[in-house]
Amino acid sequence: MATPVPVLRLPKGPDPNSRGFDPKSPRFIALCRTSISSSAASESDAEELQKEQHARSVLRERFLRCLLAATNKKVRFHMHENVNVEATFRTSDIDVLNFQVSDLHTPIGVQKEALIRCQDVISFTFDM
Amino acid sequence: MAMRQTPLTCSGHTRPVVDLAFSGITPYGYFLISACKDGKPMLRQGDTGDWIGTFLGHKGAVWGATLNTDATKAATAAADFTAKVWDAVSGDEVLSLAHKHIVKSVNFTQDSSCLLTGGNDKLLRIYDLSNPETALQEITGHGAAIKKALWCNNDKQILSAAEDKTIRLWDRNSMEEVKTLTFDTTVSSMEYVAEGEILVITYGKTIAFYNALSLELIKTVEAPAPINSASLHPEKDFFVAGGEDFKLYKFDYSTTEELESYKGHFGPVHCVRFSPDGELYASGSEDGTLRLWQTAVGKTYGLWKCVLPEDLGTENSEQLYSSTPEIKA
Repeated sequence: MATPVPVLRLPKGPDPNSRGFDPKSPRFIALCRTSISSSAASESDAEELQKEQHARSVLRERFLRCLLAATNKKVRFHMHENVNVEATFRTSDIDVLNFQVSDLHTPIGVQKEALIRCQDVISFTFDM
Repeated sequence: MAMRQTPLTCSGHTRPVVDLAFSGITPYGYFLISACKDGKPMLRQGDTGDWIGTFLGHKGAVWGATLNTDATKAATAAADFTAKVWDAVSGDEVLSLAHKHIVKSVNFTQDSSCLLTGGNDKLLRIYDLSNPETALQEITGHGAAIKKALWCNNDKQILSAAEDKTIRLWDRNSMEEVKTLTFDTTVSSMEYVAEGEILVITYGKTIAFYNALSLELIKTVEAPAPINSASLHPEKDFFVAGGEDFKLYKFDYSTTEELESYKGHFGPVHCVRFSPDGELYASGSEDGTLRLWQTAVGKTYGLWKCVLPEDLGTENSEQLYSSTPEIKA
């Protein structure tokens, strides 16, 4: 009776909480560029690069604070296909792929809880 | 002492796996991408099957997936009428190429500068990835949906298989048909082996090998069941095939003798490919899983650990699993 080949462990499965592509992996660190590439000039000018990095941090922080400020407010989403809907903004997922909202007003009724796909959203507005 | 093949099951997909592709060998190993009807193609480490990430963005079943040679880019073809190009290191979507119908196949040129797409609109399209606004070229000719489109002959020519029961060879520059192979039934899969210019085709229960430049038949082999996909070992000593009876078959390429068959999948096998180093092959199935199989059963490689006869009696084997443990849902 042949014995099965032993294995050290099983292949690791997907992480239910993230889409993966670990930024701490050696491959990511070696190969990954930022999504908006730094200006070419910055390679020779460290000061320019620093200024750019500072600007990036400021913009990112502002964006995240904006999402925080929207929490529990009435928000109007402008979406593709001329869709404009109102809902109460609750939260975003970590990759900003989905927004969780409550009381989404749609032409066919009010949805108590809903997920809005961020790629479908062109812009959204709310009063602070 | 005979060892029994232990396939490694890669779970994570929730619907049938319809296509898979390996990258070349990179300084970080080699990688595997799987296309799935759940719309979420996944990237895995090729030698272990470990999940690296999921490409999120498609809104429909993903029918085709490919990686460039150094696994820095991925491309996917989907039922949402788009082909997408992804950064395979960060997982970000880089380009979305709108088509007029379901896209079934995507393939990079060797330098990753161009992408070939084919699908249900019966057109072959070539995109320049640095200038992707409109397709560089559109090749017409097929009478029905294209299932697979591949670059060949150093990216100078294109091979396409369609539901019109033909495989056509096209010249890239003239966009003209160079040769056509006609079959009695639609070809279920096509694999191009650049080194040696061999084309591996499957239809019905047949696995056929053609010269990719002349489209001359080299040999055909009959399998015990209808075959959906086959792959030739890089050293051309074996080929593997899988299909409707859920099994994987291993054949000797020179003698065409069936060497082994393996059970494991719980549904028809849709795709099978050898890794770039030939040490393993991966299969994707209707059962939603990918499985990795050793070419040389019992060899130490990846997650498989060779155990010598004298070690089998020892107590000290906590690290070794002699059979696949139950996976909790």
